[in-house]
Amino acid sequence: MLAAVRGTGSLSPWSPPDASAMTKPDDSPAFAAEAGELIGKIGLELAFVTPGQAASAAVLDDLFAELLVLLPATAPAALVDGVTAAAERLASVAGGGQRPSAATIALLGDWLPWCEEAIASWSAGRTITPWAPPTADAGAAVPAEPVAARPPVSPAPSPPPVAPPAALPDLPEMAVDVVPPDADPDLLPLFCAEAEDLLREIEQGVLVLETDPTDGAQLAALFRAFHTFKGNAGVMKLGVIQQLTHEIESLLDGARRGQLVLGREAIGVILAGADVLERFVAELGAQAAGSRPRGALSLPVPAVIEGARLAMLAAPSAPSAAPAVAAVPQVAAAVAPQPAAAVARGGAAPPPAATAVPAVPAPAVVVPEPQPAAAPAPGRAASRAAGGAIVRVDTHKLDSLIDLVGELVIAQSMVVQHPDMVASGDSDLSRAVGQLRGITSDLRRTAMALRMVPIRATFQKMARLVRDLAVQQGKEIQLVLEGEDTELDRTVVDDLSDPLVHMIRNSADHGIEPPEERARAGKQRCGTITLQAFHQGGYIVIRIADDGRGLSPERIRRKAEERGIVSSTAALDRREILELIFAPGFSTAETVTDLSGRGVGMDVVRRTIAGLRGKIEIDSSVGSGTTFTLSVPLTLAIIEGLLVGVAGERYVIPTLSVRESFRLQPGMVSTVHGRGEMVMVHGRLMPLLRLRGRLGTAAEATASRAAGADDGVVVVVEAGADVRCLLVDELIGKQEVVIKDLGEIFRDRTDFAGAAILGNGRVGLILDVAALVQLRGRQGEAAA
Amino acid sequence: MTDREPDAQAAAAPGKYLTFTLGDESYGITVAVVRAIIKLCPITPVAGMPPYVKGVINLRGKVIPVVDLRTRFGLPPRADDERTLVIVTALPTLSGGARLHGVIVDRVDELATFTAADIEPTPDFGGAIDIRFIQGMAKSGDRVTALVDLEGIAAAEIAAPGPEPIAPRATPASPA
Repeated sequence: MLAAVRGTGSLSPWSPPDASAMTKPDDSPAFAAEAGELIGKIGLELAFVTPGQAASAAVLDDLFAELLVLLPATAPAALVDGVTAAAERLASVAGGGQRPSAATIALLGDWLPWCEEAIASWSAGRTITPWAPPTADAGAAVPAEPVAARPPVSPAPSPPPVAPPAALPDLPEMAVDVVPPDADPDLLPLFCAEAEDLLREIEQGVLVLETDPTDGAQLAALFRAFHTFKGNAGVMKLGVIQQLTHEIESLLDGARRGQLVLGREAIGVILAGADVLERFVAELGAQAAGSRPRGALSLPVPAVIEGARLAMLAAPSAPSAAPAVAAVPQVAAAVAPQPAAAVARGGAAPPPAATAVPAVPAPAVVVPEPQPAAAPAPGRAASRAAGGAIVRVDTHKLDSLIDLVGELVIAQSMVVQHPDMVASGDSDLSRAVGQLRGITSDLRRTAMALRMVPIRATFQKMARLVRDLAVQQGKEIQLVLEGEDTELDRTVVDDLSDPLVHMIRNSADHGIEPPEERARAGKQRCGTITLQAFHQGGYIVIRIADDGRGLSPERIRRKAEERGIVSSTAALDRREILELIFAPGFSTAETVTDLSGRGVGMDVVRRTIAGLRGKIEIDSSVGSGTTFTLSVPLTLAIIEGLLVGVAGERYVIPTLSVRESFRLQPGMVSTVHGRGEMVMVHGRLMPLLRLRGRLGTAAEATASRAAGADDGVVVVVEAGADVRCLLVDELIGKQEVVIKDLGEIFRDRTDFAGAAILGNGRVGLILDVAALVQLRGRQGEAAA
Repeated sequence: MTDREPDAQAAAAPGKYLTFTLGDESYGITVAVVRAIIKLCPITPVAGMPPYVKGVINLRGKVIPVVDLRTRFGLPPRADDERTLVIVTALPTLSGGARLHGVIVDRVDELATFTAADIEPTPDFGGAIDIRFIQGMAKSGDRVTALVDLEGIAAAEIAAPGPEPIAPRATPASPA
């Protein structure tokens, strides 16, 4: 195949067939017939549905799910949106196990005829009227008239303004109307979604430009992103936003044509512009969704516009700077009172506002060689192509699919391991079973992959964070990202973000030294933070390494003693001392900065990571840097467990917490007076917890102590810096298990982290190692 | 243990009830909460729970807790036999959803329809008997069925799990 393709050199590049043109005539009638039937069923259900009954919502939910699946890819957007909107409305009710309100039922009653009409229109080739649900919120809110007149004060509690990057002129913010008066409610979410994509691209592009302000491909990509944004804003009649993007676009256009070079100030302006756009889009999304009252938002638009213009004038420019200035349109006059004048006096003397904040020296670079035609950014093109067909799915549905697949895997293994199956010599049967097993494991892999997302977006946030930290602290820091494509569970990604932010802040704040100090120490002025992700077993490992001053064990020890975290007589090795920084109430910072000293310490980081069933390790050497290593399971749904037998039952111990295991030998257990039993492991005494005593009946516990005191297997488990020996009856094996919630009745049973269905179909309880390790002096209680 | 209004229990609604037997006594629960009736299957015990929480079972891939009503009501224990069944019920949770619970009973009897005329308020047993979870008494023929407020039991369980079995009590109803 490959050879054949390569041989025919004259083949034109493959381009996707025009799907809508090719398939439309075939799709709509077939769909109309099937959909008609479904819509009939939905109508029937609707007629019988009684407000307040959960069961009927579930049936409707299923019918909608079928309808969504049925919708061909070529269906017109208006139809897809209408069906999705109704399905989502219902899913928000049915998915939560709630009961549909009369309002929801009435809404669906309105929706039904619309949907029939829409399908008929599609079949007949007519245009479809978009589905406009009668918004209940619209009635409650003030009617749409206030948009014409600009309210002077923003009614919406706007987020605290972002610390303006260095180069922004000091101009007052302005109130910007958020939802345009005649906005098409269907278009708003689309605009927001697209805007968010563009903003991500913009942020990433700017950070690349910071290292190489003449990167032609990035300049072009960035220019296009702002240009697209401007176009979209124009369609939505968002005049001010259009103007803002226009100014930045002009700046980028100049840079793209080689007429000027973007300095740090210019890049700061672009980032500030992106921030403004981000805040605007977030507010627009919230107001359009009705979660915020409609009104104006106060934004530093004049400052950004002015900043963009100044940057154009101030930027070191190639000979043809004049046309760039001339290209600045005068539309801004209406927005800010100042800009026109500022442009006029531009080049000669910078306005006073700009001189006030020269925190970062603008590198005066002369354009080495102008890039006339910008090459398209290959990365972006690829991501566009790959992202062509994305379906948004309710995570509840995804979770239940994954649950079911998990059960299928278990059911499959019960069939495969059934004695009759094993004994059967039928080769056809065993082939069929083998095939079943293969498909099941493929299915499971695919199902798990559905939840997986690359960690890229989280890493990229860190890039911005490091940049801001460096600027604000006058440090030079570069962030090196590795393995951004490493994938992990969506929910894990979300929870990892805060700990990462905290650790990066720590590294930038306390790890990396100021440039002068680095120079004195014989290091490069520019510090490096490396953020790396890779897979290892069922875990994702994230490593945050800096080449800063490192952690001093002596200082940590002293601080810990001062704060009463550890006694001055305790014998601790180096690793244990480093681990002290995770203790609650510990902070290595001599002074608390506004950035990292927000009252959360590394103990919160460790707790978050433990909550993800992961662990965090630290290594550091004075003078050459600190490395944090996080290991977190790829998914929260499945863990690898060590299966142990205790008092006739099987329990699961998460493998990540297991350090080692060995058979208990006579004489290993010693009783420390008043402190329970201890086991000598590698020359150290560790507390022993007899699980038979804790989990079995009282009689079993007593028997265990009296008779078989030295019988069983010791599993050494760790949670954080604490270690404990668990005595179990036997080791059974390792197994990947799907974690199930135990439910509210058991919420006070902290010994268990959940339950899992084992290979024999029975339920096995998953031990919560952190809880067991932290039991203090209570190991004998059940036996007593 | 619970602050439920005394009036709330008096209001056993007429309708269909699944009746079952514990010892010599007949009990009923509203069919609205019943999801399935299954044979007793291996139960995984959960250490540290009150004796009437027998543990958890695997119901087609779901892990559900199983409660022994006999122990819950303080009746003498009895060995399981082939007629011992688990009634799977959907009971409300704190978070507003519903969760499946298994209820172990000696024997499932029938699906009975009780009209308002059949149902009488739970008689006052003079304070000697815990009637918190009995919503009413339904007569049919010579048989009297105690209507159990499972939701109330579950709510009390969630509110204050712990070994607080209801004191052994006199027979609420028995065949004449």
